[in-house]
Amino acid sequence: MSYLSIKHLSSSVVDFSLKDINLEIDKAEYFVLLGQSGSGKTRLLEAIAGLYKSRGSIFYKEDEISKMNPEHRDIGFVYQDFALFPNMNVEANIIFAGRYREIENKEEHFRDIVDFLDLQNLLERSISDLSGGEKQRIAIARAIYAKPKILLLDEPLSAIDPTFRNSIMKKLKEIHRRYDLTTIHVTHNFREASYLADKIAIIMDGSIEQIGSPDEVLNHPKTIEIAKFLGFKNIFSTGLLDQESKADYFSVDPNLIRIVKEQSDCCDYSFEGEIEECMGITDHFKLFVNVDGYQFFIKIPKRDYENCLSQSKQSVTIGFNEQDVAYL
Amino acid sequence: MKLAYKNDTFNITLIVLAIIIVFFLSVPILKMFVGVGSDKLIDAIKDGEVISSILLTMKVSLWAMVFVIITGLPLAYLIARYDFFGKSFLEAVIDIPIMIPHTAAGIALLSTFGDTGLGDFFKFFGIEFIGTEYGIMIAMMFLSAPFLINAAKDGFRKVDPKLEKVARTLGANPFRVFFAISIPNARKDIINGALMMWSRGLGEFGAVIILVYHPMTTPVLIFDRFSSYGLSYSAPVAAVIIGFSALVFLIIRFIANRFD
Repeated sequence: MSYLSIKHLSSSVVDFSLKDINLEIDKAEYFVLLGQSGSGKTRLLEAIAGLYKSRGSIFYKEDEISKMNPEHRDIGFVYQDFALFPNMNVEANIIFAGRYREIENKEEHFRDIVDFLDLQNLLERSISDLSGGEKQRIAIARAIYAKPKILLLDEPLSAIDPTFRNSIMKKLKEIHRRYDLTTIHVTHNFREASYLADKIAIIMDGSIEQIGSPDEVLNHPKTIEIAKFLGFKNIFSTGLLDQESKADYFSVDPNLIRIVKEQSDCCDYSFEGEIEECMGITDHFKLFVNVDGYQFFIKIPKRDYENCLSQSKQSVTIGFNEQDVAYL
Repeated sequence: MKLAYKNDTFNITLIVLAIIIVFFLSVPILKMFVGVGSDKLIDAIKDGEVISSILLTMKVSLWAMVFVIITGLPLAYLIARYDFFGKSFLEAVIDIPIMIPHTAAGIALLSTFGDTGLGDFFKFFGIEFIGTEYGIMIAMMFLSAPFLINAAKDGFRKVDPKLEKVARTLGANPFRVFFAISIPNARKDIINGALMMWSRGLGEFGAVIILVYHPMTTPVLIFDRFSSYGLSYSAPVAAVIIGFSALVFLIIRFIANRFD
């Protein structure tokens, strides 16, 4: 049995429901739950933590924890807005769990967390005087101090200044390894997911749509909806390629479609089309080309073209290679 | 003073209207102290009947407040946190005492806790409401509890439920969460509501006089002296209770701000 096993979990409120969620998460795995806003990510985390009533079972190793109250599940939770207790200073926030739980070597553990997350100078501070990044470190410290079996992170990077996101992602990975955590991290950002995840699950409208390794999920989405959510562009019927295929649809990265200047120059697949629009964006042009009613979106570097191919209705040949086609 | 708009006519209109209401609210209070004179004020402070009535009023109002903190905070929390059938009706019921005449409230309390089955039930435990401190307490509590309950309800609504959820995941059971997170983070509103309730209790007259004439609370004593001896005998008592109330109010505010 997995370290954490979720079986047929469902939960309903007036206008939303989690539908038959099944997940298997291994020990020390960094599991990313990827989904759009309103897809049920936070609700699923809260159901796992026991903060919402749900049907189905949750097993930690062999033990069923789904019947336990949240305070007995040993699951750490870090909310998107960190939910630090305003009536306590930083230190009291971090050691809050120590009031209610036996924590082994708590002095040493506390010092280790404070040193590792560089919180020494913040301990006496009030919560209202902290930046987003500081609040995040304290919320993580508070969760880790309780020595949870599983750490749940609800969009922990969304309230962070984008400049610091990369360094914080790195830190999250370090925390996960250092404290031997099993982490479930919820996000809508697939770049964040691809960096952090050992395994990714896509959640849409309360259902898990796909689970797999980052490469499997991010490069081979099972459905068009997942592909669109993951930012795939140029999704068309495979009929356009005039070939037999197991897949019904394919997608091509806009950066890998070329404007064909000479026929010998190109390509496994090439098409005649008409330019519908060309937009100049900092270092590239965005080109929209109509091929028999299908609109291709192409990005071409400005260094390759002096001016936008701006003549509307101008004919153009576009092409791409088989190796750049992703079948859906 | 920084004004929102640089329009003299508008600003002058605001200031003049504000001065009228401030004048109306403050002058009678100032007049009470200035008009009474220091000799009569000192005599009132030395008057044993006055002091014991002030202490009785403050003490019983405090009991009423403590009772409503114990029973009203859970009610306020239930209303703030949960949706349930009849919630709007319950909120309206809590507000009713604010709207009804106080003498009518006294009659309602007398017909409930006087010579009735419920009154007899409490008598069995040695608690009588007619002519006792318990009677003063229920009269004060009935009319001033909504101030505390409503303020606490607003305070609990301002506490992010995620704080309570996180506290649960950190090992605190719902009771501990209530005392460690919910109440401390709603404390400003709770303290304001408690002070408001306590001070409304001090001033309660209409309902108290119907249930309990003796022992006399300060408002009853003021009325008694006014009807028996006239304004010059009642005004010093009124000045003393206003002074005491303001002093206690300021001390509690100071302590509350220190803890913030």
